[in-house]
Amino acid sequence: MSADTLASGNAMPLRASRGYWSGVWLRLRRDPVSMACLTVLVLIILASAFAPLIAPGDPSVGSVARRLRPVGTPGYILGTDELGRDMLTRLLFGGRMSLTMGILPVALALLIGGTLGTIAGFVGGLTNAIIMRAADILFAFPSVLLAVAIAGALGAGFVNSLVALTVVLIPPLIRVSESATTQVRSLDFVEAARASGAGAFTIIRVHILGNIMGPVLVYASSLLSVAIIMAAGLSFIGLGARPPTPEWGLMLNTLRNSIYSQPLIAALPGVMIFIVSLSFNLLSDGLRSAMDVK
Amino acid sequence: MARKVLITLWMGTTQDRKEGNKKMTALRRKFRTSLLRPALMSTAAIAMLVGLSAPTLAGGTLRIAMTASDIPLPNGQTDQGAEGMRFMGYTVFDALVGYDLSSPDKPVTLIPGLATEWSVDPADTTKWTFKLRPGVKFHDGSDFNAEAVVWNLAKILDKDAPQYDERQAAQGRGRIPSIATYKVVDDMTVEITTKAPEALIPYQMAWIVMSSPAQWEKVGKNWDEFLKAPSGTGPFKVESYVPRERAVLVPNTEYWDKDRISTLDKLVLMPVADPSARVAALRSGQVDWIEAPPSDSIESLRGAGFEITSNVYPHVWPWHFSLLEGSPWTDIRVRKAANLAIDRAGMKELLGGMMVEAKGMVPPTSNWFGNPEFEVKYDPEAAKALLAEAGVSSEKPISVKAIISPSGGGQMEPMLMNELIQQNLAEVGINVEFDVRDWNALLANWRAGAKDPGTAGATVTNSSYFSQDPFTALIRHVDSTLIPPNGTNWGYYSDPEMDALIDQVRNEFDPEKQVKVIQTMHEKFVDEALFLFVAHDVAPRAMTSKVKGFVHPQNWFADLTSVTVE
Amino acid sequence: MPVYILKRVAYAVPVALAVSMICFLLVHLAPGDPLSLVLPADANQTTIDATKAKYGLDQPLPAQYFLWLTNVVSGDFGTSIATGRPVVSEIANALTYSLLLALIASVLGLVVGTLLGTVAGYWNGTAIDKIASAVAISGVSLPHYWLGIVLVVIFSVNLNWLPAMGAGESWSAERLKFMVLPAITLAAMPAGIITRSVRALVADTLGKEFVTALEARGLTQTQIFLHVVKNAAPTAIAVIGVQLGYLMAGSILVETVFSWPGTGLLLNTAILQRDIPLLQGTILVLALIFVALNLLVDIVQPMFDPRMKRG
Repeated sequence: MSADTLASGNAMPLRASRGYWSGVWLRLRRDPVSMACLTVLVLIILASAFAPLIAPGDPSVGSVARRLRPVGTPGYILGTDELGRDMLTRLLFGGRMSLTMGILPVALALLIGGTLGTIAGFVGGLTNAIIMRAADILFAFPSVLLAVAIAGALGAGFVNSLVALTVVLIPPLIRVSESATTQVRSLDFVEAARASGAGAFTIIRVHILGNIMGPVLVYASSLLSVAIIMAAGLSFIGLGARPPTPEWGLMLNTLRNSIYSQPLIAALPGVMIFIVSLSFNLLSDGLRSAMDVK
Repeated sequence: MARKVLITLWMGTTQDRKEGNKKMTALRRKFRTSLLRPALMSTAAIAMLVGLSAPTLAGGTLRIAMTASDIPLPNGQTDQGAEGMRFMGYTVFDALVGYDLSSPDKPVTLIPGLATEWSVDPADTTKWTFKLRPGVKFHDGSDFNAEAVVWNLAKILDKDAPQYDERQAAQGRGRIPSIATYKVVDDMTVEITTKAPEALIPYQMAWIVMSSPAQWEKVGKNWDEFLKAPSGTGPFKVESYVPRERAVLVPNTEYWDKDRISTLDKLVLMPVADPSARVAALRSGQVDWIEAPPSDSIESLRGAGFEITSNVYPHVWPWHFSLLEGSPWTDIRVRKAANLAIDRAGMKELLGGMMVEAKGMVPPTSNWFGNPEFEVKYDPEAAKALLAEAGVSSEKPISVKAIISPSGGGQMEPMLMNELIQQNLAEVGINVEFDVRDWNALLANWRAGAKDPGTAGATVTNSSYFSQDPFTALIRHVDSTLIPPNGTNWGYYSDPEMDALIDQVRNEFDPEKQVKVIQTMHEKFVDEALFLFVAHDVAPRAMTSKVKGFVHPQNWFADLTSVTVE
Repeated sequence: MPVYILKRVAYAVPVALAVSMICFLLVHLAPGDPLSLVLPADANQTTIDATKAKYGLDQPLPAQYFLWLTNVVSGDFGTSIATGRPVVSEIANALTYSLLLALIASVLGLVVGTLLGTVAGYWNGTAIDKIASAVAISGVSLPHYWLGIVLVVIFSVNLNWLPAMGAGESWSAERLKFMVLPAITLAAMPAGIITRSVRALVADTLGKEFVTALEARGLTQTQIFLHVVKNAAPTAIAVIGVQLGYLMAGSILVETVFSWPGTGLLLNTAILQRDIPLLQGTILVLALIFVALNLLVDIVQPMFDPRMKRG
């Protein structure tokens, strides 16, 4: 989807001290844009997580008698959808699915891709060649196409689109962590640790991970926005969540038919996707400059 | 003598139509001759004066956005379901038996098409004779005759015939399951025999349209080539056909039914599967007519000055119950309770008024409806009482799984409607879980039956049914000999009493007596609450106010020849 | 130079093969019997037997792959379940539409992105930069399928300026009107991406020593600007090349919203109808185009960059 985030992946700063992270946090805190985005995201995530507690209604119960009420109707602050279900409730519950489908694949890909990339970078040789060529092959597919191909073949559903998105996000993370590891590996302090007889596991844990964590995390954070848009997009074309599950992409699709009668309501799920994706992008930018990652 | 009587009875409907229509036809003809002709001539004159070379018919260009994702194949027995037949099947081609689509006010009946009359041999009720219409020509100029009819039947029934076409066979074979043999008697007479007595043959033959054998020969005996230069006998000719994009049809000015010669310049068909895109296309003036506008758009379309037309037609949108052991629906009290739990009036509102509340398999206005004892209505208290009797309550609810589809021909707005049913049933103590499948996948399971492993524990399938004739409306769902894989009795219903009624229908060649049997059968459907009767579609379509002369009949099909665009 | 090109081509071949392997496996990834996935439900025994033999469905996977690849190389991508037409003709038809749309969207994205990016980078840190960057990040964050819907409502339905859907009747200037909205929708994201890349690039180059050196040598601002552009060109080419590929492949949502009869709409139809042969064929073709575009970028890029040419 987004070529600069997915296709390029070279990031290599070298800092490992304890004070580094607190420094990053300090710098991030001084950036008003990042803090605003962070606040918005935390609020949306918390609101979605606690949707059953705070939502005014039931996301699956509606009444035909009160369908497509405009925004601002008493009792239905954000109006009601095509089945008379409360939009605010649907958006909150929808956030659970949309955010999960955006964040979880990035987390999984970070875990899998990061591990594979670190191993490839650390071990080198044939292992490196095998892992990297495999990543290259997946890379040869444009990301949306690969996601659509996998989800399309597997069929619609939450798990299937989760798998599809994760597979799409793994190769770039392999690349980033591999190149970061390769750089760190040849540095003096790693050589020194090796010479002092430290085991491979200790070296990876203490020296490598400490040093590559920053750039890899920054990179992964930049994928969040892409993943959110892509996940909602899969649902939009019927490959992700299924009705009556509230999900922003799916809501956008089912509300399309109401766009002439209630344009504002029909636009709401899109606005949510935009806000979350924008916040993730800006926060990622802030994190990048706070970490001084190019 | 008996034979003579029979002919008049079958033709009875025809006579009715002719009487009822004479006025209209006469009016139309008068209109044409008195107003249109001079208008035509003057436009032509003006066109010549200003130097325009293309002569126009002044009927304008009608652009239609269909719900299909592809242009129906112009090979004859077209694809894309009933919509394909509506826009490509019955425009470019004709069947031996036609439908009277001229009135919005009465149920559609069969009328002569390429056959002027048909009859069954009273001595051997498996033998039918069709007299063909003389003087009819295909678009390529070749003659339509008995040879052509036999050739077309072999096209879909005889695997060894050189013109056998797998694609058309797949579409047409299932429509004429009872035909055994067919032969030329003379140039204008065809004889068809059935495997067993089958009084419904005229209904079945109305589905089978005639492609031109001469044209097929001319293009090298190749159906793919035929698609590039199709030829039928219908009121429209194919001018151009681009798969997935558009088909341009022009009137067949030599059409055999002089009252049905279109004055349009062009009829353009476009496949626009996405409902919102159809609405946008209509509103931005890219098309003049869209099929199935989504219910949420109807009010705003009306507000914006578009015409919304609709009409009841033989169609039912039910939940088809599995009656296999272990299914909660084997208990008639549960079936009745479900029927009493559905707020059909609320659903109608949800669909912008675009449905008829179902009280049985056929609309209450149908003459097959009969007089059932059980009244299908919204009464959740009665539903709860019935369920309590059956040992069900909100503390001890039943759980059922229903196979549904997100879209599909005749499925109306399945997600919306099913979500409402889910809510309604939950209120009386029936919890519903959905198994959403693609329309084709749902149909595949519908053919495989409730016992198929692919049913995966579901006890309901939600396929909507076209119910033009007694077989498609009733018999195929409940005939014990049609339990899969032999037929489409999905729920494994089996009742000797019902089977006896079916036998009577097939052997009853007197239409009036036949209707009586069908009524008894339908009463049994309702009294046993064999289906969850939900809705009848009204085939909504939206068009600009420039579209004139369209009659929305009580049918899936429609006559496009009367339409003009200002 | 020829050696370099040969090397790149030699590297692209195994990648293309691997891509085809993944596309081949899609049919086996899908739940259900492969045979039932590539044939209509009511196929007769003759067709079933013929298909079995054609794809060697009773043979081991590698043999099946080889058979399938042989078919593909000879231009036989199978038959669409839904239409019964050869998949290859369906794709060929749609490809022209997608290519044209992607090309226009790329150019649009490039022009807008380069302008905004250059301006933002050149006046790094000023209000102009902030506005340009805000526009850019919005472009990157917008769900484009939603943007498309909004554009249709405004420009087709309310203002009645532009068509809402489809591609018009024939290949003429008239068709451009149909392309405006889809192209803008499709270009939003690359425009944002290119703005961000170009901005960083320009700002970066401006800070480089050679610019200070040029200034010291007394070159005018315009001359320095041209110099900067020249230095940024190779990267820009890479970005555009890759974007074109992404747009070709990524237009599924936009083409669906606008019913643009390209490969994206074809993919969407294939998914809706579970037309696996069509899905497989379309993905294969798009992925191979993507591989080819990457190869092209790899070959063309050094021609604009003296440093890389030497290396």
